[in-house]
Amino acid sequence: MTHSSELEARKLSKRFPDGTTALEEIDWNVKQGETMVLIGESGSGKTTLLRLLNRLAEPSSGEIFIQGHPAAKQDPIALRRRLGYVSQDGGLFPHWTIHDNVCLVLQLLEWPIAQQDERFNSLLPLVNLDPIQIASRYPIELSGGQRQRVAVARALAADPPIVLFDEPFSALDPLTRHELHEQFLTLKTTIQKTMVLVTHDMAEAFRLGDRITVLKDGHIHQIGTPQELIDTPATPYVNSLIQHHLA
Amino acid sequence: MASTNSTVIVGSKNFLENRLLAEMFAQLIESQTTLTVKRRFGLAGTQICFQALTTGAIDLYPEYTGTGLVTILGESAKQDPRAVLNQVRYEFRERWNLWWLSPLGFDNSYALALRRDHAQSLKIRTISDLAEAAPTLKAGFGYEFIERADGLPGLKHIYGLKFRDVVGMQQSLKYQATERGDIDVLDVYTTDGRLAVYDFVVLEDDQSFFPPYDAAALVRGETLEQHPELSKVLGLLTQALSPERMRELNLRIQEKGDAIPQVAHDALRNLHLVKEPQAPSSITIKKPTSFLSYMWERRGPLLVRTGEHLGLAGIGLSLGIIVALPLAFMLERWRTGAETMIRLIGMSQTIPSIALLAFMIPVFGVGVLPAIMALWIYSLYPIVRNTFSGLRDAAPTVVETGRALGMTEWQILRSVRLPLAAPTIMAGIRTAAIWTVGTATLAAFIGAGGLGVPIVSGLQLADVDVILSGALPATLLALIVDGFLGWVERLIQPKGMEPSQ
Repeated sequence: MTHSSELEARKLSKRFPDGTTALEEIDWNVKQGETMVLIGESGSGKTTLLRLLNRLAEPSSGEIFIQGHPAAKQDPIALRRRLGYVSQDGGLFPHWTIHDNVCLVLQLLEWPIAQQDERFNSLLPLVNLDPIQIASRYPIELSGGQRQRVAVARALAADPPIVLFDEPFSALDPLTRHELHEQFLTLKTTIQKTMVLVTHDMAEAFRLGDRITVLKDGHIHQIGTPQELIDTPATPYVNSLIQHHLA
Repeated sequence: MASTNSTVIVGSKNFLENRLLAEMFAQLIESQTTLTVKRRFGLAGTQICFQALTTGAIDLYPEYTGTGLVTILGESAKQDPRAVLNQVRYEFRERWNLWWLSPLGFDNSYALALRRDHAQSLKIRTISDLAEAAPTLKAGFGYEFIERADGLPGLKHIYGLKFRDVVGMQQSLKYQATERGDIDVLDVYTTDGRLAVYDFVVLEDDQSFFPPYDAAALVRGETLEQHPELSKVLGLLTQALSPERMRELNLRIQEKGDAIPQVAHDALRNLHLVKEPQAPSSITIKKPTSFLSYMWERRGPLLVRTGEHLGLAGIGLSLGIIVALPLAFMLERWRTGAETMIRLIGMSQTIPSIALLAFMIPVFGVGVLPAIMALWIYSLYPIVRNTFSGLRDAAPTVVETGRALGMTEWQILRSVRLPLAAPTIMAGIRTAAIWTVGTATLAAFIGAGGLGVPIVSGLQLADVDVILSGALPATLLALIVDGFLGWVERLIQPKGMEPSQ
């Protein structure tokens, strides 16, 4: 089972020093090339799970495997450079140009400048941005949607096998969000990456996810495709989510 | 720190008569010996002067026997001048190896003075008379007088004095205050030349409360051993100055605006202790009519003072930056205990600057070093505080994303937090710079020079032009430094932080 999963969690728990339990003994996995959506209310543990994957947080107990290897045994810095990451507000460096922002990980990996430029130019069209027009601009000069697309390009720059998205579209207006959903789906088919996306928006989950993990109070209520969730909701909570969504 | 082989450091307190006496000592030593004299005048008060002497920061200064007895030794007042002199001589020699040379011949006692119209209408002649009328009168006393056992506290005890109101004032400004009728009673020095000018009556000390204050040179024993000629030379002034003579000399400085070195020189020449007349052109200040021409005339010395001032503030601030920046970085890294630490540093700001300067003296003596140390301590807090919060609050989500993308903490600090915090850090440095430039004016009180020198002497002379000649450049300096650092602050503002349109 280990070798077939790109990401896997075994009996994973996370308790905070203040006593709250964010995750309780969860077993969970993501297959290669799959887009897994984590959905839940705030406090459900979905963001904690994401942060445990790239070791921004350490588990209280249990294990995480990245491409079959225990995450705990890897250097966190090297690990993170192999995992793309897009945060809620993009997290672009405000004092860096778009070019420098996108090439951040390449720079950390010490790519030659010429290759960085080449990568930049081939990457931006993927997220529907004109590399020449935008290279020397600063984040503040872009719209929210543009900034988020830059953040996606930055996450993809070093061609990581896995990309993590922490509520990437939640701060955008509905029109822009819709547009980015479309682009996300196109991108998904072109780049074939394993992706984990955190959201609290059921519509987004249904639209983008190959499979969906429903989390509540640190427990997994159900893992399944959108259709499976609709057809056979595992718990009353999942059922209520579905009903609410379909209504 | 103490005198080297051929140098003697003469100190003085920060009032005119003491400066004049110190200047006379200095000129006398210069003309009668081969020694080089260094002057450290205007030290703030008895304690600072005395500490400077015991630590060897100065070799001698003019002191008064009564002050030695009551303020320094903490003894109660005695009336017999001879007994007081013998007691201080014995105690100072035994305890600190300090020597009182022979008295100069006048007793500059404290006394109370009352406006003549009050004295006449209320028929007050003695302090006992005053005690009855006191509850209707307002007193303006020097700060030292209000605290000293041989000042107000003792007076209250002996005479039962109780005034309607007591205002603490700079000694030299008191006479001016009386002109407006604000103040009815003053503490005065009996040798103050202005007693004759202003319409005040000195009240008789009918209970013999005030001890004798015979002026004499107080000298370190070590200095006398090294330079035995000093006691002979300074001994030339034994009983040389009568109270009347002293009043005259004081008045020349106070009211005519004559320069202290000139008055000192004249006094010595009068005693046939120096020969050649000093070239008047270099010394006499004929007061120009306007403030601007006064400034222009003083441009040379003022430029030197400005240089000293910038040096003091600049070194203090630089040391502050050197210590505060790494400290703030470490505190931000540890977090726990950081707030407590910063608050402790912040408490240094609540120490009044003149007190902080005074605390430095036992450790660093007087002069430039303690002043720089005090300025350094003052500059720490704003830099530590701003650097700490600047780093801590620098765009947390951006920092977190950098971490998630695989930046090391060092890379995040260098490429993200530091550039984003730079304007905040710079603002802290700017605050510290203005404080140090402002506070450096007080360095004059411990003999460190700077633009405070004209301010302090102006205060003693009660001469607004002289005060302004120090205060105005100091203010300008603060404005220029502020403007310059503001410009630097904008310069290091990272690009992309403001809308470009």
